[in-house]
Amino acid sequence: MSALAALVRAYDRMAQRGEVPPFGYSQQNIAFVIPLNADGTVAGAPIDLRLGEGRKKTARQLAVPQPIKRTSGVAPNFLWDKTAYVLGVTTGEGKRTAQEHQAFRDQHQAWLAGSTDEGLQALLRFLEAWTPERFAEWGWSEEIKDQNVVFALETERLRNIYLHDRPAARALWARLMAGSDKTEAICLVSGERAPLARLHPAIKGVWGAQSSGASIVSFNLDAFTSYGHDQGANAPISEAAAFAYTSVLNRFLDRGSGHRIQVGDASTVFWAEASDQASADTAEQMFASLFAVDENTESKKVGAILEKVAQGRPISDLKPDLPPGVRFYVLGLAPNAARLSVRFYVEDDFDVIAVRYLRHLARLRIDPPPREPSPSLWRYLIETAVLRKSENIPPNLAGDWLRAILTDTPYPLTLLSSLIMRLRADHDVSALRVGLMKSILIRNFGMENTPVALDLNCKDQGYLLGRLFAVYEQIQTAALGRNVNATIRDKFYGAAAAQPRKVFALLAAGAGNHLSKIGKLRPGHRVNLEKDVGSVMDMMEPDSDPFPASLSDKSQALFALGYYHQRNKYFRTSESPDTAAPEIAA
Amino acid sequence: MAYGIRLRVKGRWALFTRPEMKVERVSYDVMTPSAARGILEAIHWKPAIRWVIDEIHVLKPIRFQSIRRNEVGAKAPVASIRKAMKSGDIGDLALIVEDNRQQRAATLLSDVDYVICAHFEMTAKAGPDDNEAKHLDTFNRRARKGQSFHQPCLGAREFPATFALLEPDQALPQPDNQDRTAALGFGTPRDLGFMLYDINHGGDRGSILFRATLVDGVVKVPPPGSPELRR
Repeated sequence: MSALAALVRAYDRMAQRGEVPPFGYSQQNIAFVIPLNADGTVAGAPIDLRLGEGRKKTARQLAVPQPIKRTSGVAPNFLWDKTAYVLGVTTGEGKRTAQEHQAFRDQHQAWLAGSTDEGLQALLRFLEAWTPERFAEWGWSEEIKDQNVVFALETERLRNIYLHDRPAARALWARLMAGSDKTEAICLVSGERAPLARLHPAIKGVWGAQSSGASIVSFNLDAFTSYGHDQGANAPISEAAAFAYTSVLNRFLDRGSGHRIQVGDASTVFWAEASDQASADTAEQMFASLFAVDENTESKKVGAILEKVAQGRPISDLKPDLPPGVRFYVLGLAPNAARLSVRFYVEDDFDVIAVRYLRHLARLRIDPPPREPSPSLWRYLIETAVLRKSENIPPNLAGDWLRAILTDTPYPLTLLSSLIMRLRADHDVSALRVGLMKSILIRNFGMENTPVALDLNCKDQGYLLGRLFAVYEQIQTAALGRNVNATIRDKFYGAAAAQPRKVFALLAAGAGNHLSKIGKLRPGHRVNLEKDVGSVMDMMEPDSDPFPASLSDKSQALFALGYYHQRNKYFRTSESPDTAAPEIAA
Repeated sequence: MAYGIRLRVKGRWALFTRPEMKVERVSYDVMTPSAARGILEAIHWKPAIRWVIDEIHVLKPIRFQSIRRNEVGAKAPVASIRKAMKSGDIGDLALIVEDNRQQRAATLLSDVDYVICAHFEMTAKAGPDDNEAKHLDTFNRRARKGQSFHQPCLGAREFPATFALLEPDQALPQPDNQDRTAALGFGTPRDLGFMLYDINHGGDRGSILFRATLVDGVVKVPPPGSPELRR
């Protein structure tokens, strides 16, 4: 099923539960309601619908007939509008106010002509009798001006039924919207013949896109059109389907909707489809907590699952936590020049997706673990970025990475190359980076036995060189203390990882000098360090050149891994006092 | 099926653009019938015959990848081409790439492998010299030798297809065992939603759609004129 079709289905389910406005209606900020009697007289001053106190009042969101796209022309909305149109009053200069009010009046007389509905008749009579002067005569509050107002029959107002909610009004609006001049074609979402949407409603809330909204389906330049079709006819989608997918997508994209996470530049929305609403909710919450790890509350939940994975429990054991029979949809959107591009769209059973994610987490596992117990996707991604700034995350990478996780396909190799590049630049071999590299080695290169913790028996060339480099660094620290301006890591990490032959002879010579210095002060410490060098060297195979001229990306990843493991061994031992190397002032 | 042919097509990338996402392109999950027809027509086509796609077999798992490319946002206007043809002066025909640059993202399929099962029908344009055996022979001979009039492509010109004719006695290639998953419709049929069948070139150039389902790695394509086609 296509992404749009799945969204339309999500809309249908939500519409059944009354969570989204029906077709032709949209949520708008409405501040006042004018109560009418059946004979068209006003039942009282407009009633404030706004919420909040004093100056912080905010208008209420009501589902009203969809507004007309107004740019410069005068065009009234159906059964609601701002006061310049409805009442002919405004606080500003309002050069066109009279014209606008006249348009509202004329249009409604045309639209409502022949209607026998009590409410619509009342509105017609109200408009006939109304003059803008009355606003002041009747002493209506200045606050009403320039707000959006709706109408209601006084008898229905307290039940929160407004004029546009009356069945007759809905029927009339449906007829007006169907119009007569719309082209009809087969809708590629529903497969039915229906009036086509020429322009699709805007989708708001995608990170980095225009704040006024962007479109997935748009033909904003003529190179995008074909076969002489105009705008929406290039991709025949019915108005109803266009309305449905955009309104549900906008709702999902809302901050705090519980349906979105931001991963790099990909604004990701997800939703579940289940026979019962409860398991769909559970699935959505689980997904949100798995992926968007919130510092405190959620990480505990994730931590519990992770612990099970870490203990080596098979993933099938976790299944009871995962609701069965739930279809899950994940859609990643990223902006591109006033349009939205679909970075990925994944549709599968929820437990399948969750198990894939857990497998991904298992691949990331590294010992010693990163400081925060369950880092979020974003936390990992900024490790690939210059200065660890979100805006420097390489474009496209986030989407590709998330797609790889959700579909259990090889990770994008740009992830590996950008990590290696970062390591060369800032030499910060962190747990997160090493974990990411390890996951790539396992998934992309099938190196299932990549060590999680320090592996003294691993014979991989890159791994051994990484370990050796860490030992040399430790020797330098032991000889010169921790206050060296530029350690061998600062000077040589990049070269050692990429072109070992160039550097390691130099390092060995330096280490010799440092060892002799340590030997004069603490002979025992020297022996220990020499043993470390020896233990690494022992593992090397002399016939396969131990210091090759260059290392591949794969080996460079293992280099970082070996370095990380060996270095952290020293950090750990230095915590126990008996083997600690005393600091020497350089 | 009489005069049926089977052609195996492969490629590193493929982009069978969904009409609704043809600006920021997103591919369909599997090859569309019109893309398959395009490949066959690249090998052999004459006005006397019309290719009809029967089935599309999917041999590799469906994998997506996204890329960004520089393209242009403008077309050379028809009016100025007409003017140039009349006056013989092509000075104004240029489209300056620098002024019309557009970056467009595309989510495409990587590493695809299909078998197209198809046959052809004679059209009203067939003359007295045309018969089915002749065109079938021509196609088979050309396909066997790897000949084509233009490079067959997988949905978009940038993604060339390599093709090989499957002889009638040859067994149909099957997906690898590990790929026989629900994603390819093994076990449970997978609904691919409405898919583009073809453009109605004879009429208003609107889209003709059909409901595509992937059953055991095969999309069955309804014959022309069947009620399953929506136009």
